[in-house]
Amino acid sequence: MRYAAISISTCIALAGAALAAEEPVILKVTGLIDDAPAHFTMADLRALPTTTLETSTVVTDGVHNFTGVLLRDLLAQLDATGDVITATALNDYVVDIPRADVEQYDVIVGYSMNGAELDRADKGPLWIVYPRDGHEALQDIRYDYRWVWQLSELEIR
Amino acid sequence: MRPLGRPGLALILPLIAIFVFAVLLAFALNRMVRVADDIRVNAEHNMLWVMHQSEIAARRLVETTLRAELGEADAAEIALRLDLLRSRFALLHEGPQRRFMEEIGMREQLSTLNQTLQSIAPPSAPISPSTAQDLREALAPFTRFFSRAANKTMIREWDDLGGRLETARAQLRQIIASLFGITVTGAVLILTLFFALRLSRQRTNMLRRERDFSALLVSSSGDGILAIDAAGRCTIWNDAMATMTGQPAERAVGRKLSDITGFFGTAHVQTALKASLAGKDRSIALQPYYRDAEEPALYVDLRFSPMLDEGRVVGAIVFMHDASDRYAARQRAAQTRGHLEQLVAERTRELDEALLRERSAADLYRNFAGMISHQFRTPLAVADSALQRLIRRGGRASTAEIVDRARGARDAIAGLTRLVASTMDATRLQTGQVGARRVACDLSNLLEGVRARQQAMAPEARIETDHPANLNAVALCDPAHAEQVLENLMSNAVKYAPKGSAITVHLHGNATELHCDVTNDGPKIAEADRAQLFDANFRGQNSVGTRGTGVGLFIARSLARMQGGDLQLRDTDRGTSFRFTLPRYEGEK
Repeated sequence: MRYAAISISTCIALAGAALAAEEPVILKVTGLIDDAPAHFTMADLRALPTTTLETSTVVTDGVHNFTGVLLRDLLAQLDATGDVITATALNDYVVDIPRADVEQYDVIVGYSMNGAELDRADKGPLWIVYPRDGHEALQDIRYDYRWVWQLSELEIR
Repeated sequence: MRPLGRPGLALILPLIAIFVFAVLLAFALNRMVRVADDIRVNAEHNMLWVMHQSEIAARRLVETTLRAELGEADAAEIALRLDLLRSRFALLHEGPQRRFMEEIGMREQLSTLNQTLQSIAPPSAPISPSTAQDLREALAPFTRFFSRAANKTMIREWDDLGGRLETARAQLRQIIASLFGITVTGAVLILTLFFALRLSRQRTNMLRRERDFSALLVSSSGDGILAIDAAGRCTIWNDAMATMTGQPAERAVGRKLSDITGFFGTAHVQTALKASLAGKDRSIALQPYYRDAEEPALYVDLRFSPMLDEGRVVGAIVFMHDASDRYAARQRAAQTRGHLEQLVAERTRELDEALLRERSAADLYRNFAGMISHQFRTPLAVADSALQRLIRRGGRASTAEIVDRARGARDAIAGLTRLVASTMDATRLQTGQVGARRVACDLSNLLEGVRARQQAMAPEARIETDHPANLNAVALCDPAHAEQVLENLMSNAVKYAPKGSAITVHLHGNATELHCDVTNDGPKIAEADRAQLFDANFRGQNSVGTRGTGVGLFIARSLARMQGGDLQLRDTDRGTSFRFTLPRYEGEK
């Protein structure tokens, strides 16, 4: 597993360098991981195992179907060792997410909503989504502010 | 005594208190739930942050156009900032945000600005200063719009927050009032409980005292007291009961009465017990109670009463009174009565006998003429015969012969004189002039005299007398009457005996009486004559052809009975036998 993770990240790094012109990097992971920093394009993320999640949000009406990558799997793949994840958005919004959240709940880094890719002019390209409807504990404003949209960077501390 | 209304009030007050308590508690809970709902903060209330972020996005775009004029920013950066501003509009057009914009009345303006924003195309590189300037001018209303929106949002949210706090305060005040009410009603309930407990303890104490007093009454009662429950098992067995029955309370309580002692199993007692358990009073008097075989029985009075609890029979109570004394008194009374009756019977018999003797005497004298002719004939005949012989002998008679004949005549006359004297005595006796002429008299001497005279009158007859050697033959009798009876019996025996046969006179006795049996070998007295034999003027079948008056036996029996004796025909195999009975002389009385 560890070996596979290293090889994938190496591939990603190589691919990132090779395809810099065509495919922009949308997520940068820094901090306590192997071979920091790690860069991900949309294609890299889509290549990872997908997870879907149905939930409502506090800023929209109705229930939506999100598709993305389990943040837990992503961190495991990068051999992250920290306890806190500092998420940063394109508009410089910064919030600390306890590592325990991703271990306890199926938190995803979503890249599409209701089958449509998230747009940067809306909440894309990446949105941290909590399974809010599945857990009453998550229906709290202290979790609501951890839903980072227009996610651009994760720092593991 | 407590007034009649109190128990009702004592019940109603706690009920009201409980009702009020419950209502207030429900009300307070309802208010608390509402407050809990109200104090939940939703992300919708975060609109000020949304406005702030939107304004920053607008200002950053303006700032980027300025930097583009100076050549510090490229087209990609402008495109990013433009996208970020568009994302804010996208956010503001979604559900909760859109509704809030409507509430603060800025929805129209938002739509207009959105159309403007959508019409702006991202500039292509390289960017000329004029393009950047045009873009900045187009963006001018955005920052003003968000500034004013933030202002309105703040006021709106504070109004909302103030209102919500006011509602929460009002609800909290209601809760506080309810809690106060709950405290008061709780205090009332606690007080009620306290008084109820105290009253209950007082009543328990009173009941205990009453029970102790009842127990003392039961245990100190001289009468036996026992109680049974509806199933017939003993529940109370007092000390007197234990003493009377010999069964201690430990062995009695909890058991069936018939198992404690057999006395309670007898049909009599069981019937009464059943009746008392059916609600009826019963009592049994002087029932014998055997504690064990050696001791005499106790005689007890029993009283059975049902025990009622609100009209229902819950058991029975039995009182057992030792009435042995009363029984003994009754027995003594009965004995005394029996004794009296016996005494009266004795006296009556004595009176009857006296009357009979009286009648006999009366009869005797009524038949005096007959008796004279009968009794006087023999001595007169003896005297006459002696005198006739003297006359016939005339001068030939020697002096000795004259003396002898004269003496015979005189003896006969002397007998007559005695008879007359005796008859006179009897007359006096009857008229109460003298007491009983009964004296001590040796019957054997008397008998010998009579035998000698009878032998003299009938020289050919064989008269044999005998008696046991050591016989005390002293009787209490009138010698003249006794002699007369014996003469009568002996002359009868001689008269009816076959020629040459023996006549036996046997004298004997028992502890109180002397018997003189006179027996001959003559014909038996016919069965039909026996009953009338002693009647006056009765002559039996066998007397045909013999001399007789028919009063001999009547007089003899009458005389015998006058002296307290009797004369009876004996039932014997040999000829005819009469028994003359006289009482023994038992010393001076």
